[in-house]
Amino acid sequence: MEDPDTKKPRSTPRNVDDVISLVIPYVTDARDRASASLVNPTWLRADSETREHVTMALCYASSPDRLSHRFPNLRSIKLKGKPRAAMFNLIPENWGGFVTPWVNEIALSMGRIRSVHFRRMIVSDLDLDVLARARLDELEVLKLDKCLGFSTDGLLTVVKHCRKIKTLLMDDSSFLEKDGKWLHELALHNTSLEVLNFYMTELTKLSPRDLATIAKNCHRTLVSAKVGDFDMLKLARFFNAAVNLEEFRGGALNEDPEKPDKYTKLTFPPKLSRLGLTYLGANEMPIIFPFAAQIRKLDLLYALLETNDHCKLIRKCPNLEVLETRNVIGDKGLEALAQYCKKLKRLRIERGEEDEGGLVTQRGLTALAQGCKELEYMAVYVTDVTNECLRTIGAHLKNLRDFRLVLLDQEERIIVADLPLDNGVRSLLMGCEKLRRFALYLRPGGLTDVGLGYIGRYSPNVRWMLLGYVGETDEGLVEFSRGGCCPKLQKLEMRGCCFSERAIAAAVMELPSLRYLWVQGYRASMTGEDLRVMSRPYWNIELIQARRVPEVDERGEVGEVEHPAHILAYYSLAGQRTDCPPTVRVLREL
Amino acid sequence: MSKVTTELDFFGLEKKQTNNAPNPKFKKFLDRRRSFREIQGAISKMDPEIIKSLLASGANPSETSARSLSVPSTPKEGHPHIPISPVHAPLTRPGMVPVSGTVPMTIFYNGTVSVFQVSPNKAEDIMKVAMETSPKKDKSMEKDLPVIPQTTLRTKLFGQNLDGDLPIARRKSLQRFLEKRKERVVSTSPYFPTSA
Repeated sequence: MEDPDTKKPRSTPRNVDDVISLVIPYVTDARDRASASLVNPTWLRADSETREHVTMALCYASSPDRLSHRFPNLRSIKLKGKPRAAMFNLIPENWGGFVTPWVNEIALSMGRIRSVHFRRMIVSDLDLDVLARARLDELEVLKLDKCLGFSTDGLLTVVKHCRKIKTLLMDDSSFLEKDGKWLHELALHNTSLEVLNFYMTELTKLSPRDLATIAKNCHRTLVSAKVGDFDMLKLARFFNAAVNLEEFRGGALNEDPEKPDKYTKLTFPPKLSRLGLTYLGANEMPIIFPFAAQIRKLDLLYALLETNDHCKLIRKCPNLEVLETRNVIGDKGLEALAQYCKKLKRLRIERGEEDEGGLVTQRGLTALAQGCKELEYMAVYVTDVTNECLRTIGAHLKNLRDFRLVLLDQEERIIVADLPLDNGVRSLLMGCEKLRRFALYLRPGGLTDVGLGYIGRYSPNVRWMLLGYVGETDEGLVEFSRGGCCPKLQKLEMRGCCFSERAIAAAVMELPSLRYLWVQGYRASMTGEDLRVMSRPYWNIELIQARRVPEVDERGEVGEVEHPAHILAYYSLAGQRTDCPPTVRVLREL
Repeated sequence: MSKVTTELDFFGLEKKQTNNAPNPKFKKFLDRRRSFREIQGAISKMDPEIIKSLLASGANPSETSARSLSVPSTPKEGHPHIPISPVHAPLTRPGMVPVSGTVPMTIFYNGTVSVFQVSPNKAEDIMKVAMETSPKKDKSMEKDLPVIPQTTLRTKLFGQNLDGDLPIARRKSLQRFLEKRKERVVSTSPYFPTSA
């Protein structure tokens, strides 16, 4: 076996196979690698031995030993567990996605692993302990991304054993906080940290002093810090020490009406260009004006700004490339973006509260499409939209790779929406040829069966789709999946649709590239038997049973929400799951 | 659904015809004052030690079953034992055997979810202790917080089409922020009592 580290050239390549073994290490795109590996056994071996990174979009698609046998020299893995719907509280917490078998395999036979990324998975302290002890100083990157199940004890073990860790991330993870020792341990020993992320965690026992010490010890390397709700004043020392910091998110700006100048003396690191300050209000906004011109990425999702505040800020950020905010930005804010932020590449507008005001409609989107031609990613929650607006998007945003539109269901308002959106959607899809990801979440009447057929016909490159409340009858799904439609669609998510089990199963059989299906809200049969229409080898079909979950609604009242059943189906080389909770039912072969 | 004499039909589930209800929101069956947020708030302020001691010191061992399903549950085969608190009897398989007279009680605490089989009396005890230890007294909270009974789910019930009444789901992280925002707005209003 050739050591992939030493790409020593042979004196003369004797044949194509020699050449490929020299060339393939430089081929990094996963799809290219996958293609190359299909040529012949030699190419397969060349790929297998030199593959450095693998992403498994679903950890149940294969098994740990298959992974390690095929790619013995893997350095980096990313595994995803729960369906995306888990981020929206739709999936039972104990659904699955346990990292244990993977961690055990890493410890046993994946001796080159330096980087581990678990997303939406269940991680225990023991798992972290096994991982830390197995990889020790060689572990450079650990990302526990929207994971749950561990505690700060696990983090402490990692930090203690993996002294050279460069990236430590637990963004939006749900874990038990016992103490702040893990941060303290980092402060004591680490001098190589580049990325530290405990954003969106409810940690309260951490010491800002430890953070400042880390900044001091790692001042050469630390470029990104996403932290919890420390008051910003407590981070002053941290900011002073982190001289190479480029990205910061978190903190908390706790306005004090008696001290309006509370934060004005705060200084930020000179290279800061990616920023998100929690609870940023109109009063504090000016503290970022001095360096607004160098801001490329702005996170206002957790700020407390109104529409006009957005406009004021946007005007000062001509180099903005990425913006995330809530729909309080309003059409006015989008018009400001169109005017001042010509370099905008990614825009995400989430749904805020109704009392915030600010509405995003076709007015703002049209202006945006005409003004921000560089947009590659656009995800918006809108209150109203028209066919013409979608047409404009298709006409102007030629670089769009990822488009997601959700039409909000505002009961109290009477909005005259230009439904159905069949023609607009068609124009958009035809115009945005580079589109790879597409989400359309409407309401009954939002898209007819014909419109759904358009989506199928005009999405040649789309690999992922989320469709909500589209179509009218099973016929729509037939049109959507007809021969030649959605040729590259790998992952399909559907919600709130009127399709029958049979129609869904039939559509699945038609879609040539489909490897993952998630559906919630469909016309279910009593037993799920109709799903057997899509029975086939290696295709796992699971049902998450309907449940009632206590939830607090918008008015703060307790209610029980009915969660209808989900269908989850996916290709797997590992056979059917054996670790399901009671709410998950595996559809077995007869 | 297990029938217990002291069972409180909190959501009026007995009366409700689930099949013909296009609107899944159960607000109309609830007393406005009984805010789940307040219940959750009380539980989240509880000292876990108190929960442990309450459940461990069950006066009548046959009354309570402290079998718990501690999320995250572990996979069945050869899974190493996750260190969890002594109250949570370790289970290798998440299926629970309910003891008669007990109803599941779900506790969300600090990022973890646990389900206990408790009798209504024990549950009321827990609620009372929660209210005693919680630092801020919510004036509108009832003295006797009822247990939230969980029905045994049958797939049949929800096998029917819900007429597309799925509310648009919000991201968890955003939901948390918006709740915090509400609290901040309230606490800075001129009419909020500052005598906390």
